[in-house]
Amino acid sequence: MKLVGIAGSVEDHSYNRTLLKFIANHFSDMVDVEILDIQDVPMFNQSDDQTDGEAVQYLKRKIEGADGVIIATPEHNHTITAALKSVIEWLSFKIHPMSGKPVMIVGASYYDQGSSRAQLNLRQILESPGVDAVVMPGNEFLLGDVKQAFDDQHNLKDDRTISFLKETLGKFIKFVKVINSMNKKADDDDWQSEDLNATGSVPTTIKGLNMHAADWVDQATAKTNAVTGNTYVRLDCGVLTVDQLNYFLNSMPMELTFVDANNQFLYYNHQTDAKNMSASRKPAQVGNPLADCHPKRAIPHVKQAIHILRTGKTDLFKLPVPSNGDKCDMHYYQAMHNDKGEFQGVNEFVLDILPIVKYYLGLTGQKLVKDPNAKTDAVSGASSKATTPKPDEVSGASADTDEAPVEKSEAPAVDEVSGASAND
Amino acid sequence: MHKFIAMVGTNSTESTNRKLLQYMQSHFADQAEIELMEIKDLPIFNKPEDKKVPALAQSMADKISDADGVIISTPEYDHSAPAVLMNALEWLSFYIHPLVDKPVMIIGASYGSLGTSRAQAHLRQILDSPELRARIMPSSEFLLGHSLQAFDDAGNLVDEQKVAKLDGLFADFQVFVEITQKLTHANAANKQEVRDLDWDKL
Ligand SMILES: Cc1cc2nc3c(=O)[nH]c(=O)nc-3n(C[C@H](O)[C@H](O)[C@H](O)COP(=O)(O)O)c2cc1C
Ligand SMILES: Cc1cc2nc3c(=O)[nH]c(=O)nc-3n(C[C@H](O)[C@H](O)[C@H](O)COP(=O)(O)O)c2cc1C
Repeated sequence: MKLVGIAGSVEDHSYNRTLLKFIANHFSDMVDVEILDIQDVPMFNQSDDQTDGEAVQYLKRKIEGADGVIIATPEHNHTITAALKSVIEWLSFKIHPMSGKPVMIVGASYYDQGSSRAQLNLRQILESPGVDAVVMPGNEFLLGDVKQAFDDQHNLKDDRTISFLKETLGKFIKFVKVINSMNKKADDDDWQSEDLNATGSVPTTIKGLNMHAADWVDQATAKTNAVTGNTYVRLDCGVLTVDQLNYFLNSMPMELTFVDANNQFLYYNHQTDAKNMSASRKPAQVGNPLADCHPKRAIPHVKQAIHILRTGKTDLFKLPVPSNGDKCDMHYYQAMHNDKGEFQGVNEFVLDILPIVKYYLGLTGQKLVKDPNAKTDAVSGASSKATTPKPDEVSGASADTDEAPVEKSEAPAVDEVSGASAND
Repeated sequence: MHKFIAMVGTNSTESTNRKLLQYMQSHFADQAEIELMEIKDLPIFNKPEDKKVPALAQSMADKISDADGVIISTPEYDHSAPAVLMNALEWLSFYIHPLVDKPVMIIGASYGSLGTSRAQAHLRQILDSPELRARIMPSSEFLLGHSLQAFDDAGNLVDEQKVAKLDGLFADFQVFVEITQKLTHANAANKQEVRDLDWDKL
């Protein structure tokens, strides 16, 4: 499950932000919490619409991609801060990303009342029709006398406070599941809209070529005057020639595949022949729309997988493919984003983690033993025959995959989801 | 003649709340001197560590201190007062306290039929907090719903009943100001208490 946290403070030092960070770190085994910044959000102004500005769009994307929101509110003058209110106003004016979102309110204040009035206000504000959030009823986490609450390491000092927070968070996780399953019906069919035939385009799509052509790479090179050989390319943190880039990528200890946001397979690091690869690819496939790369029965799974990455339900999911104990290939699907956080496609990387595990065991003098409490034996992994596999064993897709469409169907066989594995 | 500061509770260039205050300014010109105060140029409140307030906030505070009372007209955003108004009140309670014991009249205009009833309740709660301690006129509310249709081309309120209500409330507010000026016994103590409110010492 993925949550985002907003601290209602634009101060350089904020106890409410500290509280959110504590939640994110201390309960990371329960839930994944990403803390969002509101520092750059301008004061709301009805006559100067900045909904399309980066600061507001960033919050919109992050909130839409999250399963729920935690808001940590300070209290100023018995209410929430103007800075937080301004954010909420932007999110209720032309766009409504909070609509239907489960929200948990927490708050820290210098006084012993600990933001109780601000929290009540915030609840009322979030439930107004323009915002339309679903605030968890009942539970209030108030952190009063906050100046004394944290130790030097920014951890909460009081164990009872921690366990109450844990309990509240546990309730919220359940609440999120219930609310989202109510919201789900509509969302459920969204993944169908994934266009694996790549009939649309993104700004980088090379137009006017036959994507199915075996010589697509040559055609695309001619069309774009793509540089090759010893021409230098400026990268984020370095300068390399195209040759050097190839040496680099081809020597990666894993198979890499690039699929763009238009669901077109654009690149893989060509280290060896298809038959020797864990997820086989052929040079002639490059340029294909994803639909070409998968058997028909696999299409729904691929659509679902891409969709949860595109919509930010998760940024990474994993599929283990163990075989006979001598190999454990991991297929990772990592969403790629530009610096504005916009989805740019999928980076699929495949590697055998067994040598790493063995090396580590040797190094530390340990060995693998069966966990008698495990619900499924760790080795049977991703096969669809595995008996009720626990979600995080089948596909790392983060804790929330019990909600994700991929999980709802039986666990997909690996080549069904894999970005561009050969059809044969 | 009483001197009032009329705070426009929005940064919007087109505002029916500003119109309402402008209407009051001319409508009551023979009864009181009303000066409009804009809040849109204040920066977002960020509790600066050096405890300095912007020069603009200080000059607003001075004007409020000099006035006999304050009229605040609030829009309603998300069932509450707009951020920009909350922001002004944060600055006006941060080591400056011009609103302590200051008579305040709350009014508001909104497009819908309820005319900011919830925003006014919210604003009341804010002004009542220990850092602000304004003297809000009790049991009074001026709600202007459907505010886009409320004024004629000359900027006058078209609804006679609304005009009568506003006349009455404004007369009451003048009396309330007089009474408040007599409630001086706790004045010094109240002012001292807010000055003593130092978040650093908590
Ligand atoms: C202008 C102002 C008004 C405040 N009013 C209140 C208040 O009404 N109630 C309260 O508990 N704390 C109040 N405080 C102190 C807050 O507890 C404190 O600023 C804030 O909640 C700490 O959160 P942060 O560190 O995340 O910013 C006020 C602080 C300021 C600067
Ligand atoms: C972000 C936003 C939220 C709003 N929420 C409410 C609301 O909760 N209740 C309401 O009556 N009007 C609401 N409105 C409409 C307001 O009535 C209207 O914008 C404002 O009060 C009119 O004041 P003005 O003419 O001075 O700008 C909202 C408007 C905006 C921009």
